[in-house]
Amino acid sequence: MDGREHRSTTVEPQFFEPGTGGRSVTESSGNSRQECRPAETATFEELTLPHLSAVYRLAVRLVGDVAAAEDLTQETYLKAMQAFPALRDQRRVRAWLFQILSRLVVDRHRSGGREVQIDESIDLDRFSLYDRVAEEDPFPYSESLHEDFLDRFHDEDIRGALLSIPQVYRVPLVLLYTEELSYRELADLLGCPVGTVMSRLHRGRKAVEHALWQCAKRRGWVKEWTR
Amino acid sequence: MTRMSCEEAVRQFFAYLDRALSGEPLEALEAHLRDCLDCCDRLQFNRRLDGVLKARLAEGGVPDGVEDRLRERLAKLGLETAES
Repeated sequence: MDGREHRSTTVEPQFFEPGTGGRSVTESSGNSRQECRPAETATFEELTLPHLSAVYRLAVRLVGDVAAAEDLTQETYLKAMQAFPALRDQRRVRAWLFQILSRLVVDRHRSGGREVQIDESIDLDRFSLYDRVAEEDPFPYSESLHEDFLDRFHDEDIRGALLSIPQVYRVPLVLLYTEELSYRELADLLGCPVGTVMSRLHRGRKAVEHALWQCAKRRGWVKEWTR
Repeated sequence: MTRMSCEEAVRQFFAYLDRALSGEPLEALEAHLRDCLDCCDRLQFNRRLDGVLKARLAEGGVPDGVEDRLRERLAKLGLETAES
């Protein structure tokens, strides 16, 4: 399903704010945001530059390379600058910038043929790292086998696992973990139904579990020939 | 309320961890977890893995100079855009 979807990087401004559970700010009562100066009077620079670090950090997390992240941040701002006149609710500018960046990343990987492919022979939906660890029992004398297994991984193993999964799964997963968005907010940001977000998060997590299992095999904690 | 199977419970774990479950599905899962130690262990593993990933992603700030360099690049872009 995901592989056939097409989204343009032309971004329609959205109407939610991260952390509100998809609720429009104007729906809430007694919210101090309503007393703010009307954002429509602010310039592009005033609105967007305070989010420069956040956009850059998200770019690093998505592409894993600081030079590529700088280029991606620049490209995000260029697209945002061009689309700025169409931004209808400027209070959502942070989510809007994330939206532009996310779509750039996914579209660029698809069009450039750089998207990571998942081995179709693996039934990711049924893959369970918990079960594999229990079956293989890599640390027979451990009293907390699963905890010890996770504790063994180095930072670069975790980073490598996250970077090894397709962007179409990595983007929602990273946004969920770092921005703590609700499924509704993610759906708005990614321009897809909530069900698609749930499916991508599920497959993304399973892909990370599988990548960690492969890493455990490379490190010799479990036998190479295990599934 | 019908008793939830382990397979059904496991399918709900991610939504539960993401605080996206409510109403009857949430009650059914919590009722199942009260009775099923194996599912509690599995859920705890998934929660811990989420925590490991979150902690890894939370690390790292913006290196010195990057923000200034980006601002310079954007200022140049803004000038070019305005002139075009």
